[in-house]
Amino acid sequence: MKRAILAMVPAVGILLAACGSTSNTPASSPAAGFTIPTPPAANLIGAGSTFDYPFFNAAFYAYNQKFSDVTVNYQSIGSGGGIQQLTKKTVDFGASDVPLKTSEADAMGGADAVVQIPVTLGAVSLAYNLQGVGNGQLKLTPDLIAGIFLGSITTWNDPAITAVNSGLSLPSQPINVVHRSDASGTTYIFTDYLSNVSPEWKTKIGVGKSVSWKTGGGQKGNEAVAAYIKQTPGAIGYVELAYVVQTNMTQARLKNADGNFVLPSAAGATAAAAAKPNVTPTDFSIVNAPGKDSAPIAGYSWAMLYKDQTDKTKGQATVDLLYWLISPDGQQYAANLNYAKLPDNIAKADVATLKTVTSGGTALLTVS
Amino acid sequence: MSQATAEPRVRPPLVTTGRQRRWLHGDQLFRGLAVASGVLLLLVSAIFLLALFIPALPSITRFGLPFLWGRDWDAVHLRFGALPFIYGTVVTSAIGMLIAFPVGLGAALFLAEESRLNWIRAPLSFAVELLAGIPSVVIGLWALFILTPIMRDDVEPFLNHLFGFLPFFQPPFSGTSFLTAGIVLAIMVLPILIALSRDVIRAVPRSLQEASLALGATRAETTWSVVLPYARVGITGAVLLALGRALGETIAVTMVIGNTPQITSRLFAQGYTLASVIANEFTEAVGPILQGVLFEIGLVLVLITIVVNVIARLMVWQFTKPEGR
Amino acid sequence: MSRLRIREAVDRLVAGLVVLALMLAATPVLILLLFVVIKGLPGMLAPGFFTDLPHPQGVPGGGVFNAILGTLIIIGFASLAAVPVGVLIGVFLSEYGHNRLGDTVRFVSDVLTGMPSIAFGIFAYTVLVATHVVGFSAIAGSAALAVLMLPVVLRSTETALLLVPNTFREAGLALGAPQWRVTLQIVVPAALGGIVTGALLSMARAVGETAPLLFTAFGNEFLQLNPFRPMGALSLTVFKNALVPYANLQDQAWAAALLLVLLVSITNILARFYVRRIQR
Repeated sequence: MKRAILAMVPAVGILLAACGSTSNTPASSPAAGFTIPTPPAANLIGAGSTFDYPFFNAAFYAYNQKFSDVTVNYQSIGSGGGIQQLTKKTVDFGASDVPLKTSEADAMGGADAVVQIPVTLGAVSLAYNLQGVGNGQLKLTPDLIAGIFLGSITTWNDPAITAVNSGLSLPSQPINVVHRSDASGTTYIFTDYLSNVSPEWKTKIGVGKSVSWKTGGGQKGNEAVAAYIKQTPGAIGYVELAYVVQTNMTQARLKNADGNFVLPSAAGATAAAAAKPNVTPTDFSIVNAPGKDSAPIAGYSWAMLYKDQTDKTKGQATVDLLYWLISPDGQQYAANLNYAKLPDNIAKADVATLKTVTSGGTALLTVS
Repeated sequence: MSQATAEPRVRPPLVTTGRQRRWLHGDQLFRGLAVASGVLLLLVSAIFLLALFIPALPSITRFGLPFLWGRDWDAVHLRFGALPFIYGTVVTSAIGMLIAFPVGLGAALFLAEESRLNWIRAPLSFAVELLAGIPSVVIGLWALFILTPIMRDDVEPFLNHLFGFLPFFQPPFSGTSFLTAGIVLAIMVLPILIALSRDVIRAVPRSLQEASLALGATRAETTWSVVLPYARVGITGAVLLALGRALGETIAVTMVIGNTPQITSRLFAQGYTLASVIANEFTEAVGPILQGVLFEIGLVLVLITIVVNVIARLMVWQFTKPEGR
Repeated sequence: MSRLRIREAVDRLVAGLVVLALMLAATPVLILLLFVVIKGLPGMLAPGFFTDLPHPQGVPGGGVFNAILGTLIIIGFASLAAVPVGVLIGVFLSEYGHNRLGDTVRFVSDVLTGMPSIAFGIFAYTVLVATHVVGFSAIAGSAALAVLMLPVVLRSTETALLLVPNTFREAGLALGAPQWRVTLQIVVPAALGGIVTGALLSMARAVGETAPLLFTAFGNEFLQLNPFRPMGALSLTVFKNALVPYANLQDQAWAAALLLVLLVSITNILARFYVRRIQR
């Protein structure tokens, strides 16, 4: 008996050593090849996208619970605000729904001076208010969406709509279109999609965070758009998936590139993202992606920081933070809030990009 | 009777004793301090204007004067014009002031005087001042959730029924409209108008009012001929402050105006204001042109404020003119 | 109908109109206040609202402790700058300002009130934050708010001072007091009610403003008492959380708005009480 126990001791010892050696922090388990580094003490400031706000808020709170001497103060002043502040170096990292344009990158010292990584994924829904038509019952094709938002389809019982929705009885009510009045990443993704599927949209209106709409009124922010739709019979608008799910709105089934009518979801966004394995700051659009479950209107949101960090401690802390954010540990907070998880291959690519961040010549990210 | 507003200040006589010379120094010091503070304001305003002007230069040089009467707003194709926003700002502020001025003045008259309903005065005065502390976003949300359906379903059809022959009240009815924004502005400027006018009216000497009544004038006539002219400067000040608030109010307006740049006489249509477009686009605008355009809109707002200020001063001055003087 | 009858009828009509005006003014005011109270109470009565730091969506509880302190600090500094300077400018305008300089100052102040509040934030940002003089900080936020508050304070001070009858000034001067003493010790106390109204109105406005703080105070999820670092505020909490789809965060936003109204009430009551004591 005694010999059996003695024999077990080294085995247990090896097990304990194995558990302890991968990271210094208790509750993190190495998942899918991510080993969470312990950051140095720092007070970080980040700014940018309002889309990311709920996710970042939850994640950074948890990060502070985990590493109590790192506080991350993220404020959602808008993607443009994030880019501005990063250019002026008043923040340690920025977050934007659309990566830097050439002119924006130039203001930061050129495209090589900034590191941009996608950190989360979202889908856009078409929400509507039609009596008797429940969630997922209305089916919309790309042509229909373009027609409605261009103002060429103006009533709900237009033949083009009823042709696709033969099972529904649609009223002769005018379609009350609502869009975002404030410039936003959601608008960018939506107009990117429409430019992709409608040549008329592409030439007349184009892609942008803020465009010149041909029809409909504008409301400021997802919340106001959602409120407008909910209280206006006959209204239709585009809203982030999180809002639709959280407030139980009715959204339409959208026809994706494969021809299937899908209800936009986090899984659908991940499927769309998986269809494009090589994502770069200059080639990042995943709208109308192939794949049977792909949500047709989806997009990434990006975090950005300078490649050469002047303050080594802050640089280290920032890189460690972003690493954690794209790891399953950080991504779990996105899933709880109706964001889509980054596909594994994208997360891995992000890590490789993060490794290029240096301070004083040496790379900051030392984990694999 | 002398009016405090028009009399010249009495100046202390030149003196020669040592003690009085010290006091004179005190006078000069104080006067210097007061004047310096006035100059400080001018300095801050000049920096303010510069902080608007310099970033606006890329837009001014690119679009020139036609920016003022352009009607497009296209961030993708870079075509910008300020006219629909100027229209929206002027219309909504005008509606707001047209509603708030009589209502506010009337309420102030009530709250300033003695009356049988004394028990209402203090709580109501208090409530009105509290309104000033409610954040605009809260007022905007209230207006979006509660006011817009009422406007769309009840008020606008009613106005159309009564005045439908006028181009202002033509259908279709939209909850988010110039009219709704104007009403929200009226509600938001009421506290300033009421609180300041009330104080001013209360300060009118009782002796003046009693003399007028003793001469046989009615309360209304006393108010019109004695109280209002006496309080004219104060009321003008209150109106101008209220007007300023109306012109610059951003978030509450943007939630109920529909944010559609268009120029139409229909008050039930959706519109856009200068302040709203800045609020909507500023956090996302990156780059000299997109930002420059918004700063130029800011400068246009300064211009409009100046013009409107001059007009408003003249109007209130006329309104509170003493009879036959 | 004799002329007297007509005049009496007009008098009664005007009296009626005045009451109507009061009701028209009171209705939206009371509805709005009621709305804020109804929507704000659930969040305010939630445990930990006053004492906890904010929790994100997904973590129950949470509060606005840091935002309360932030609002007090930011508004405190802003008022410290705006009220004395504003009163001084008001004194300038009423006692020494009947000239071109005074007219210019008056006009500029009126134009300044017409600026959207975001412009003050951008101004303070350009001068203090982007130049890295202070960076994102409560001080920058206070600077933005102080400039926003100035016109209201100075206008109402000037009005209040102008309404003090000249007899007060003449009496003081006749007793041999110098001008500055007459102003400070006789005229200003006599006008204190109006001055305080202006100061309170400006503080009420400042407390509810968000846009000036976005690029200056920036906001902070964590407790921060150093005015040279980013700081949160109740108005920022309201703005951020009113526009997200998560119910408990929205509750906190409305509760924060209600708290703002309560803060304004308390300040109001205290100030009026104090003024009444001074004027005894």
